[in-house]
Amino acid sequence: MSERGLSLPAALSGHVVQNALPVAVAVIIAIFALTEPAFLSTDNLVGIARQVAIIGIMAVCMTFVIMTGGVDLSVGPVLALAGLAAFYSLDAGFPLPVVILAGLSVGAVVGLANGLIVAFLQLPPIIVTLAMLSMVRGTALIVGGPEQHLIRNEPGYSFIGTGSMMGLPVSVYIFAAVAVFMILVQRRTPLGLLVAAIGDNERAARLSGHRTRLTKTLVYVICGLGAALAGIIQSSQVHTALATYGPFGTELDVIAAVVLGGTSIMGGNGSIARTLLGVFFLGILNNGMNILNVPIDIQLIAKGAIIVAALAIAARRG
Amino acid sequence: MRSASAALALFFAATILLFSLSAPRFASASTVENLMSGFSFVAILAMGQAFPILVRGIDLSIGAIVGLVGMIVFDLSLILHVPGYLILPLALFAGALAGALNGVLVVHLRLQPFIATLATLAAYRGLTYAISGRQLVPGLTTTPIRDPWLTGIETYFDVGRWLGLSRLVNMPWVPLSFVIMLAVFAVLQVLLTSTRFGRDIYATGGNHEAARLAGIRVNGVIITAYALAGLCAAIAALIMVARFTTATEALGAGMELTAIAAAVIGGVSLAGGVGAMFGPALGAFLLGAILIGLTLQGVPQFVQQIITGAILLAAVGYDRLLSVRRQRRLSAPSTAAT
Repeated sequence: MSERGLSLPAALSGHVVQNALPVAVAVIIAIFALTEPAFLSTDNLVGIARQVAIIGIMAVCMTFVIMTGGVDLSVGPVLALAGLAAFYSLDAGFPLPVVILAGLSVGAVVGLANGLIVAFLQLPPIIVTLAMLSMVRGTALIVGGPEQHLIRNEPGYSFIGTGSMMGLPVSVYIFAAVAVFMILVQRRTPLGLLVAAIGDNERAARLSGHRTRLTKTLVYVICGLGAALAGIIQSSQVHTALATYGPFGTELDVIAAVVLGGTSIMGGNGSIARTLLGVFFLGILNNGMNILNVPIDIQLIAKGAIIVAALAIAARRG
Repeated sequence: MRSASAALALFFAATILLFSLSAPRFASASTVENLMSGFSFVAILAMGQAFPILVRGIDLSIGAIVGLVGMIVFDLSLILHVPGYLILPLALFAGALAGALNGVLVVHLRLQPFIATLATLAAYRGLTYAISGRQLVPGLTTTPIRDPWLTGIETYFDVGRWLGLSRLVNMPWVPLSFVIMLAVFAVLQVLLTSTRFGRDIYATGGNHEAARLAGIRVNGVIITAYALAGLCAAIAALIMVARFTTATEALGAGMELTAIAAAVIGGVSLAGGVGAMFGPALGAFLLGAILIGLTLQGVPQFVQQIITGAILLAAVGYDRLLSVRRQRRLSAPSTAAT
């Protein structure tokens, strides 16, 4: 509102704010490393990467949705239903590629439904995906029932979640591949530009002749695919498909990672690369607090306080 | 707005009629009693949730506030042995304070309501675990709360006998929680429609900037709106604690989504500035009637989730339809003039 002077303190604080998240990540790594040397062991670092892979894939794939001013609350049950779809296609004896496609198709279908309703009927995304959360969870419970479905003697499928290559878990490679792919989509394709344009000013983007509705539909499909992929990895990791996986709160963790990465929940500016920073920030925070034996109640309070603090600093920018 | 309320009431009546014809034992006193005792606190939560939504916000933390207030009541009563008549105001104050903190985060730290209340959802739930008397004094986990001021909330009135109607038909007993719900409804509705604060709420929700320029203290209005949501969550918590005669750390988990759903079904627009108290309250009872009806019809709980989601979609679709019409009506004269 008021014009900003270019005084040194203002410029300096602007600089700090821009890099607040990398600085914060460095600070918490330093704190945890000093108080508990085991934090920096290779095992633990690999462990962090494995722990964040599932939330990370979903966060990377949800970034575009949030950039367009939307949100997707339905990722938790999609994760569960995709695992079940994979289980039943394994059970039916289909080859691995078909199994994975079956799992991913769950995400594509739910994402498409979300996207079409949000883009073409222009209903508020938070309610649409909330309704979808309820409907997909119900479907998962009808399909899978309340019992656990064990995935045994499927070395190919289990390799996705539990295998490792050159000392790193396969799930981490998948996470890295998804992240690199999405960063390239954002930086090198028209889709990346269109998403930014819609977030910036949807009306202007539409009036310039861009297919904003198609783009918005597509970003929800991407988000659904990410959740389905996460579901495949999780069911493979724990050798089980269960209708209640991805419990309430999963979607909030994913959204928190994206928002911590600097993407505004109102849409606009955002970057997949910075979402990765948000993912690792939360992952390191969780891991470090676990290593230091911080009780779960303090962990929850600290997480809430840190999210508020990080975003309050970011809000000063505007 | 009025047409939306009428449509909702009509839909509610149609739902009741449909279930009365199709579900065995739906048209009975016990169904009405279940509906009143099981969904009055949901209606209170929905009315509270309407206030943040009216000022273009949202409160994801009310379920966590329910848990926090429930645990405060548990601690005060069972560990500190505070008498019930002191616990009641303290619990209401705690809820309002937690709500006001949400408002402060939104107003003064300029956080998006969705994110601010998402963070406090985690923080309040964490605080609930931190102060949990169940973990501080393990022996208390099986001790019920016996304070008559608290358990008294779970009282039923045989209204039918007072009115002398019981001789004619089987009348449901009316739970005190339903009476509390009616009182909350009356107070909040008057607050919204007949006070300056109510006008300020609608003005702020309609257009923050215009409201500020018109001399309304927008920040105070928004903080009060969140405080009211917290206060309603505290009332709901007291009702739930009285019912279970205890509190758990998970009390109220996920309830924010039900409350948001009921508010939106009740015609409170997420765009702010549109809605009142009748809609959210009836929306809560509509959800309740549907759940009870489906259960009596033998529909599995999983299918009920799907149907609930579909109803939510239909409600927000209808809301969208109304607002498109409203915009057309508003823009029609201006386009003719230009």
